[in-house]
Amino acid sequence: MSHRILIIDDEDDIREVAALSLETVAGWEVAVASSGAQGLARAIEYQPDAILLDVMMPGMDGPTTFRELRKNPVTAHIPVLLLTAKVQSSDQRRFADLGVNAILFKPFDPLTLSTQMADVLGW
Amino acid sequence: MDPAPQSAPKQPNSGPPDLTAALHRLWLQFLPQIEDRAAVLESAAAALAHNKLSAEQRQAAHAAAHKLAGTLGTFGLAEGTSLAREAELLYAAESELTQTAATRLAEVAHQLRIMLESRK
Repeated sequence: MSHRILIIDDEDDIREVAALSLETVAGWEVAVASSGAQGLARAIEYQPDAILLDVMMPGMDGPTTFRELRKNPVTAHIPVLLLTAKVQSSDQRRFADLGVNAILFKPFDPLTLSTQMADVLGW
Repeated sequence: MDPAPQSAPKQPNSGPPDLTAALHRLWLQFLPQIEDRAAVLESAAAALAHNKLSAEQRQAAHAAAHKLAGTLGTFGLAEGTSLAREAELLYAAESELTQTAATRLAEVAHQLRIMLESRK
């Protein structure tokens, strides 16, 4: 089954590899945004089935973007998966406390990223 | 739904030909950017060796190491991620960097450079 995914990440290499992975391996539709602010606007118009959200971004970071997504009734229902290179348990606890649907870690395997997402989202 | 941490890849990617070829094209496309980040680590390590590492340079090295840690393993360089993560943690420490740390950071920067050269 095809799904629509929005990737929000300021790093263009990560954004492109993740998009390639989800499109090629899973056949999902992918939209991208390179900042939190751009991601909020894109989420409203694109209405993705899930959002893959980077944590560390200049300006509006991932946690702030997540809170804004949840505040807006138009985007509040969209599952959000945080994507982070932070592996320390204190960071993980902080991210989990936000209430995101899952935390995925960089580096990810392009071969299995879509499977990881599908698993945690129950697809 | 509870957050579900996922593990990082441990083996180089070896997927379908289309994906493998496309990943290689992206690797070549982003290699200059990746090398720039490695150069930031080399510069910081050199400055540290001469006791001239500024706060800004240390912050830049920390950011570069963080980005490399997130990127290299995605392109199949799991060892590169381990090295970059080690540098990230050392640069993130609140204390002054010791001589031992300086030596290790220089080694890490050098090993990352060798790894990148071998993947060209």
